[in-house]
Amino acid sequence: MNTDQNSLENSGNDFMLLFRGGQWYDGLSPEEIQQVMARTIRWFENLQAEGVVKRGHPLGETGKTVFGSKRGGVVDGPYAESKEAIGGYLLISAKDFDAAVEIARSFPKLDYGVAIEVRPILDECPDLKNAKLRSSLAAA
Amino acid sequence: MRLLNSLEFMNNENAKSDYMLLFRGTSWDKKLSSEQVQKIVTDWKAWFEGLLNDGRAIGGHPLKDEGKIVSGKQRTVADGPFAESKEAIGGYFYLKVSGMDEAIEIAKQCPGLDYGLEVEVRPVAEMCMVRNRALQSGVMKEDLVEALV
Repeated sequence: MNTDQNSLENSGNDFMLLFRGGQWYDGLSPEEIQQVMARTIRWFENLQAEGVVKRGHPLGETGKTVFGSKRGGVVDGPYAESKEAIGGYLLISAKDFDAAVEIARSFPKLDYGVAIEVRPILDECPDLKNAKLRSSLAAA
Repeated sequence: MRLLNSLEFMNNENAKSDYMLLFRGTSWDKKLSSEQVQKIVTDWKAWFEGLLNDGRAIGGHPLKDEGKIVSGKQRTVADGPFAESKEAIGGYFYLKVSGMDEAIEIAKQCPGLDYGLEVEVRPVAEMCMVRNRALQSGVMKEDLVEALV
C-alpha cells in the first residue's frame, strides 16, 4: 500500500476519493462486518492489481482542527461519529472523471451508508487561476 | 501478536509517522483583491516547497472545486461538494513528521488561516480502525485478521 513519493505526483488524470461516514458497521453482526471488510479488501486489491491505486489509507479517528488568524485555535475533531467526517482516502489514476466515478460506484461499503467524494487533482491552485482571470477581466 | 507488535514499533519515538493536512474552505479568497490572493498563493507555494525540501512533506495537491458524491445502494451520483463552502476541502498535504504536535505546528503556518481557512490534521492509519477495535474486543479472531491483511 505504501509507495514511493513519486507516486504522489500528478500523472494528469489523478483523482482523490474521500470516504465519508465511518459508522457503516452500526447494526451489523460480527460476521457481516467480517464479510463487508473482506469484500472491501478484495475491492482494494483488485484496484491495486489493475495499477489504479497510487496511495490510500484509512485515517485515524483522532484528529485536530487548526483555525483562526492568531494561529492559536486548535480543537479536537472532526468527530468520527459524524456522517461527514472523512474516514480515509484513495488517490487513483483513472482514464477520466467518469471512470473515477465508476470506480467509486463499485465500492462495497456504499451499501452501508458510506459516501465517496470524487475530486479531480490539480497542479495549480484554482484560487490563483481565478485571481489571474479576475485581473485579466479588470484589465480588459 | 505479530500485528500488534508491529504497531508498537510504529509508535517508536524515533519513527516518523504519516499525517494528512486537509484544507477546509474554498471561499476564503472572495473578498480579497487579485494581488492579495496572488501573495497568499505565492507564500503558500514557498511554504510547501520548504516542507518538501526538508522532507516533512512528501506530497500535496489542490483539488478542483467541482466534484461528485457517490452514495447509497442505488449508487446515486450527485454534484458536490458545493464550491464556495466553508467545509469543502480545497486541497491536502501529506506529511512525514515525529507526531501530532509537529503536524499541528506545520498546520499553524498555513497562510490561509488569516482568511478563515481551517486545517484538519489527521494521522494516517496503517490498519482500519474498525478492524483494530474488532481485534481488541475479541470480536474477530486473530488468524482471520492476519489472513485479511
